[in-house]
Amino acid sequence: MINIEIDGQAVAVENGRTVMDAAHEIGKYIPHFCYHKKLSIAASCRMCLVQVEKAPKPLPACATPVVEGMKVHTHSEYAVKAQQGVMEFLLINHPLDCPICDQGGECMLQDVAMGYGGVGTRFTEAKHQVLGKPLGALISAEEMSRCIHCTRCVRFGQEVAGVMELGMANRGEFSAIMTFVQSSVDSELSGNMIDLCPVGALTSKPFRYTARSWELSRRKSVSPHDSLGSNLTVQVKNGRVARVTPLENEAVNECWISDRDRFSYEGLNSAERLTKPMLKQDGKWIEVEWQAALEYVANALRQIGNGAGAEHIGALATGTSTAEELYLLQKLVRGLGSENVDFRLRQADFSADGKRAGAPWLGMEVAEIGKADRLLLVGSFLRKDHPLLAHRVRDAVKKGGQLNVVHSADDDLLVDVANKAIVAPSDLRAVLTQILAALAESKQAMLSNDVQAAVAGVVPSAEARSIAGSLASGSNVAVLLGNFAAQHPEAAQLQRLAQEIAALTSAKFGFLGESANSVGGYLVNAVPGVGGLNAAAMLDQPRKAYLLLNVEAELDTANSQQAVAAMKAADLVVAMSAYKHGAVDYADVLLPIAPFTETSGTFVSTEGRVQSFKGAVKPLGEARPAWKVLRVLGNLLDVAGFDYDSSEAVRADALPENVAPALNNKLDGVAVSATANVAAGLQRVPDVPIYATDSIVRRAPSLQQTRDAATPTVAMNAAELAKLGAGCGDSVKVSQGQGSATLVAKADDTLPAGVVRVAAGHPATAALGAMFGTISVERA
Amino acid sequence: MIQRFFKTFLLLELLKGMALTGRHLFERKITVQYPDERTPQSFRFRGLHAQRRYANGEERCIACKLCEAVCPALAIKIEVAQRADGSRRTTQYDIDLTKCIFCGFCEESCPVDAIVETRVFDYHGENRGDLYYTKEMLLAVGDKHEAQIAKDRAADAKYR
Amino acid sequence: MLSEQVQAKTDRELKKYPADQKQSAVMAALRFVQDEKGWISSDDMADVAAYLGMPKMAVYEVATFYHMYNLKPMGKNTLTVCTNLSCTLCGAHDVLEHLEHKLGVGLNEVTADGKFGIREGECMGACVAAPLLTVNNKRICSHLTSEKIDQLLAELDKQ
Repeated sequence: MINIEIDGQAVAVENGRTVMDAAHEIGKYIPHFCYHKKLSIAASCRMCLVQVEKAPKPLPACATPVVEGMKVHTHSEYAVKAQQGVMEFLLINHPLDCPICDQGGECMLQDVAMGYGGVGTRFTEAKHQVLGKPLGALISAEEMSRCIHCTRCVRFGQEVAGVMELGMANRGEFSAIMTFVQSSVDSELSGNMIDLCPVGALTSKPFRYTARSWELSRRKSVSPHDSLGSNLTVQVKNGRVARVTPLENEAVNECWISDRDRFSYEGLNSAERLTKPMLKQDGKWIEVEWQAALEYVANALRQIGNGAGAEHIGALATGTSTAEELYLLQKLVRGLGSENVDFRLRQADFSADGKRAGAPWLGMEVAEIGKADRLLLVGSFLRKDHPLLAHRVRDAVKKGGQLNVVHSADDDLLVDVANKAIVAPSDLRAVLTQILAALAESKQAMLSNDVQAAVAGVVPSAEARSIAGSLASGSNVAVLLGNFAAQHPEAAQLQRLAQEIAALTSAKFGFLGESANSVGGYLVNAVPGVGGLNAAAMLDQPRKAYLLLNVEAELDTANSQQAVAAMKAADLVVAMSAYKHGAVDYADVLLPIAPFTETSGTFVSTEGRVQSFKGAVKPLGEARPAWKVLRVLGNLLDVAGFDYDSSEAVRADALPENVAPALNNKLDGVAVSATANVAAGLQRVPDVPIYATDSIVRRAPSLQQTRDAATPTVAMNAAELAKLGAGCGDSVKVSQGQGSATLVAKADDTLPAGVVRVAAGHPATAALGAMFGTISVERA
Repeated sequence: MIQRFFKTFLLLELLKGMALTGRHLFERKITVQYPDERTPQSFRFRGLHAQRRYANGEERCIACKLCEAVCPALAIKIEVAQRADGSRRTTQYDIDLTKCIFCGFCEESCPVDAIVETRVFDYHGENRGDLYYTKEMLLAVGDKHEAQIAKDRAADAKYR
Repeated sequence: MLSEQVQAKTDRELKKYPADQKQSAVMAALRFVQDEKGWISSDDMADVAAYLGMPKMAVYEVATFYHMYNLKPMGKNTLTVCTNLSCTLCGAHDVLEHLEHKLGVGLNEVTADGKFGIREGECMGACVAAPLLTVNNKRICSHLTSEKIDQLLAELDKQ
């Protein structure tokens, strides 16, 4: 520890820290722009100049390491004079257009200028103009003259987002922040640059000119879009969500959020919002009162229960529903006498049900990912599925960790991948088996019965050996199963293998998690019990009545073709949804429910963090929180235990006080097959595009204009494409079962042979069948 | 005693009073024959609000909302949007003159001298809603009195 | 794609730096491209970036920072006249004027036959020999006078 003195106050800090760190330790404020605790030191703004005794000139606090006995004055006349001088320089080229600047009111330059700026300027020459740059649909860089060249955005790209999209071109007074020749900023974390920008040079495009910071009331919330549960500040004006910014939580999202969390709010104000309950009568939709709609639903459910039997009622929900909603849904269905309830709509393999020791979860804390020295990532479109977990992984690699990837597509993770095995979906199991075999061989370890047969006689490939070698050499290993692995038709076996690999390498292992409540859904038991049908079976063996909670059957299911057919064949489909969507074709009742900003609820994140939130705004129109809708339905159907008067009361029943004991990835009794898969025809590799994950995101116009939201293509490696006689850019017809879609072909040589990458969850591919399976491609 | 007698007898005090009255009778009158005559006004007079335009007809207001924020009576209501040419403009600018206390803060806070208070004080409304001035009404007031407004700003400029 | 010569030269340059710091060779690689083509297009920058495994924007930063890189075609002979203080005091602007008059083009322009382009440069560290210009950043011509310039132009014209 080094002892220094700041403004007469003694403080001890670790060696290697800076004066700025020391000042923060004792709560002393030093004005700054380019310094940011999460970014590297640039010392380019010079605003943090302080007086250090015996130093010949003022020193920048952010870049001056502490030295024993240092005496620092942050607000002495000398220091303040230096700071004022810097401020004067910074304002030379700044346009001072605060009245029309979106940053006005929350601008660091404005704040600091109040303290250190002069009343006028001595600079009478013309100000330097910098032309605006087109950076895409999310970030507005129209007024680059406001830039003070702190390079926070550039360093964010390099150090956090993993890709340097913005840079400082030119020199001296002509230097300007820009992208490489008119390209847009496509990072899935790009929105954070808006927060980082200390002035109004980079501002939010969707938010542009809609409100001033002092008009907004700020409410805490939790992101429903991925399993991380990023903490949000929802900013509200006139009862509408005007924007979303991160709420700092070091253990979860640090101070970042993904663009999906940031800009999805536009979907909340979509014209497609359902605002009144609707009934379909004689093929026509009519708006009705809540009472009438709920009574209709209750009667219809009672009739089906009494007639065909309760087992003909099925309930499907997405993992973006709150824990309270999922709890009440399963309670309602079980109260009616059915066990058919599920929230894992995109899963194909349910053979692990009943054999799990607990709810599958991340297996570690989120922060531990960044500390791992060896990682094995199985089946994950990491950057797009979990933008911020990808940042944690990059962090781990930057600290010297090795990342190993087993997957069916080789998307750029913006990080050095030590070893990778990119194989067709049907070979994922084989690769994991080989890795396990290589590990067992080197460790001379006994394997459990479930996997013994599969490993026997397997000769590991060179890739498998190097992955095994990498994992074996680590002391803090993490094995992570992504959404692709969880949705895989052999998910249970993959999990079993990962568990075994983790055991041999003393690793922590777990699932990254598909949705906000993929852990919560298990905890509140929104999964079928004994004799119940899971999501896939419910659609495979069509039910007479379906209760849909937040589900767009044509987009949110593993087999959209089958799902829509089942819905159309059913006697009663009750769609509880915030939006008028495809359900108008197959539903009988549409009940408008409130999205996450309009209801209170709880998400249990993938690391088992229980995060409750309150509604930020009133529900739009006649929409009501789903837990209230379900409670009234329960009352109307005379199901016992439905007299809740708050979502907290529901939560008390739904979740245990401490959820940690209920989380367990252990899986026993799933035997890994010893026979290799034989692939027939082309296999589909499905990804769920980042801006097609749930109904809110799908209706956020700005996100839909980004490059990541482009219409899915049919990607194959060049050799496969040549076999079809098609070239890059030709339109091809892909078909599965009855349905087909005509899309543009794309050559992608990172894909293994025999696979076709076609996204799921997108309207353009909704006519297709199972996410995994064979798919035929022909020239259109 | 005798003195007092004479004072009373000769109605001296009455005459004194009459003299005063007489003096005022022939003095210049300070009564103003409103509405035919008007009192002089300061160039800082704070009367009816107006929205100004630039010489080329472009409205000055840039929708910074400072006046809305500073208004102690919460009389101003502004909505903003980006105009087709990319500039920041109001889509709604209302002043509720029944709330307004004519403090002049809005004028003081305006960075572009868009919202000003004119010398007009004798406006009226026959219904309560008549005193809810919209952007169009405010611009019309500005257009009508621009010459006077500009003169007043110029006179005040040297004290700013 | 970078041409084979540029690749070969860059490879030789790369040997000077640790294997994990390939981007150290960016300035050299850009120089090789310019030597070959006379200027550096944004496609060339992207190629250099790909070859050295660094972000395109980082190459762009370097290429736009140093004024010796030509970001547009500057003719077969790029005449860069120093206009910093010492040269200006010794008549750099007369030199520029003379060149412009003689070649019939302005600053940052190229003659119609593509032989000459005029640029403005920063201090070349030879103030003692002011005013001066460089030809293609390789050859310094010092103590310039109108006669010397004419002589130089005639000589370059013949090549």
